[in-house]
Amino acid sequence: MNFELSQDHKVLQDAVRDFVTREIKPIAMQIDEEHMIPDELVRKMGEMGFLGSYLPDEYGGAGLDMLSYAIVVEEVSKACGSSGVLISAHTSLACGPIYTFGTEEQKKKWLPPLNSGAIIGCFLLTEPDAGSDAGAIATTYRREGDEYVVNGAKIFITNGGYKGTGVLFATSDRSLKHKGVSAFIIDLQTPGVEILKNEKKLGIRGSYTTAFALDDVRIPAENLLGAEGQGFKIAMDTLNGGRIGIASQALGIAEGAFERALAYSKERKQFGAPICDLQAIQFKLADMYARIETSKLMTYKAACLKDSKKSYTMESAMCKMLASEAATYVTKEAIQIHGGYGFICDYEVERMYRDAKITEIYEGTNEVQRVVISKLLLS
Amino acid sequence: MKILVCIKQVPDMESRFKANSQGVWFEETDLAFRMNEYDEYAVEQAVQLKEQLGDAPEVTVLSIGPDRVVEAIKKALAMGCDRGVHVQDPAAATRDPWQIASIIASHAGDKGYDLILTGMQSQDRGSAQVGVTVAEELGYACATTLVGFAFSDGTVTAKRELEGGIKGVVRLRTPALVTCQLGLNVPRYPTLPNIMKAKKKEIQTIAVAELLKEEPLATTVSFHPPARKGGGIVLEGDVGVLVDQLLGILKDKTAVLR
Repeated sequence: MNFELSQDHKVLQDAVRDFVTREIKPIAMQIDEEHMIPDELVRKMGEMGFLGSYLPDEYGGAGLDMLSYAIVVEEVSKACGSSGVLISAHTSLACGPIYTFGTEEQKKKWLPPLNSGAIIGCFLLTEPDAGSDAGAIATTYRREGDEYVVNGAKIFITNGGYKGTGVLFATSDRSLKHKGVSAFIIDLQTPGVEILKNEKKLGIRGSYTTAFALDDVRIPAENLLGAEGQGFKIAMDTLNGGRIGIASQALGIAEGAFERALAYSKERKQFGAPICDLQAIQFKLADMYARIETSKLMTYKAACLKDSKKSYTMESAMCKMLASEAATYVTKEAIQIHGGYGFICDYEVERMYRDAKITEIYEGTNEVQRVVISKLLLS
Repeated sequence: MKILVCIKQVPDMESRFKANSQGVWFEETDLAFRMNEYDEYAVEQAVQLKEQLGDAPEVTVLSIGPDRVVEAIKKALAMGCDRGVHVQDPAAATRDPWQIASIIASHAGDKGYDLILTGMQSQDRGSAQVGVTVAEELGYACATTLVGFAFSDGTVTAKRELEGGIKGVVRLRTPALVTCQLGLNVPRYPTLPNIMKAKKKEIQTIAVAELLKEEPLATTVSFHPPARKGGGIVLEGDVGVLVDQLLGILKDKTAVLR
């Protein structure tokens, strides 16, 4: 058993860190305040290969592995959780299912512009009345000649505001529940696709969270992903892999807050000494670091299992659960260590605290993760 | 055209250093290492020249040290160098500049490199001797501290940084060796696809014993990390008293008022 990153992964980590330090860290606060990731940064992340890291180079990806992808999302999220989730949702939830379930023609057509970052991808599953209960979706489709006609509404769509390429889920018959669900690749510039709003949020404010109305949207029949009725399986499989991305995002947010808290505890003096000399602070640091390391081990393990084509459902649920709960815990304690300064926007840990919370909710709530884990234990 | 870039892997200079058990160099455990900043300018310049000449030159990157220096070589390969040479030497940190230069010259002697680029100095040892010594051993023309570089028809036109912000321009016929300074260029980021491609590039490993025939000329006998900084002095009280206190401190403890 070897817990060291390989030299190749270290080279990658170092390269991503350099980019993040120079290109993302200086504008992370601006991204939060302006509720927008600058197009320039999205373009640069595309050039770096961040938006197709584990997809094969024949489809415009970098051809790296899942562990490399986890490292990219983690390093980016240390500085900016919004940029981290842009990469994660785009790669895991749009590129991922097209690569896994798409035909050769679909992959050749849709993946290269996604992997270069020219087009940003999203995953259209959630609806007002279908969150954790994904089989309850009410968006419908019917076949008309060479097209499918889709009607309904989608909410909370990460990256939706870019109106790029989506993987869309709709049902042919609600009474069939999850068996009636199919998946489609959709160009969100298609007539009938309307953005109702981009939500205002507690955290990850630079990331779009979009509500769509779909009104007689015509999708070419060739855009069906997998077979009809296979949609629920595609959604579940996709979210399974996506959890590694969100675990990496949460891990990065926690590490970013920890780095600041550790540095601050050495600088801040009270009672004539740095506060890190106080056992109350030392214990906090120990608890924070132990949770980060635990989450990191599980996240990297899940990524390595996926890379070696072994079952990773249990580990991806556990890493998502552990890392997101580490993120909310660590960011909360990072503010506490900063005292009043932590509550002020200039010190950034308050942003990380806001960014952390969503990681316990999206890509399957942590309650759903516990269902997944316990089901596997008892099956 | 054949180009050689010599790089060194150095510790993150923000680290807290302590002397090793022999007391002649720093303890490496727990330090993070990366490519010497000045060597990154050398790699970038070599890759830019390769691009300028339509991919024709072959760029070799060389580093001397333990296995970890392969990380720096791989970074250079991901930035665009073609092949790597790792001179395997666990004791590289104890070598003096003469020995390091001799290892490089011994490797380069029969390779016919037209141009050799390296950093003007390393960030850790900082002797600034290796580049010029290699040039001397090989009989190459040499220019140091480059902040500008142009190449055509076998001639390097180099802008050098002189003292006090003055610049000078020198011309060198190849074969030549140049050392690179901050401001020469902005090193590119290794992109993910290029990191992937770099995995397929060849890295030749050579045992140091095959290349090193020289004894050291200057031996480091002791190493002294900077003392931990004190916490500073906070003066409090009446302004008039404060001024006197401050003046007293400036006179006693600094050279400002002498």
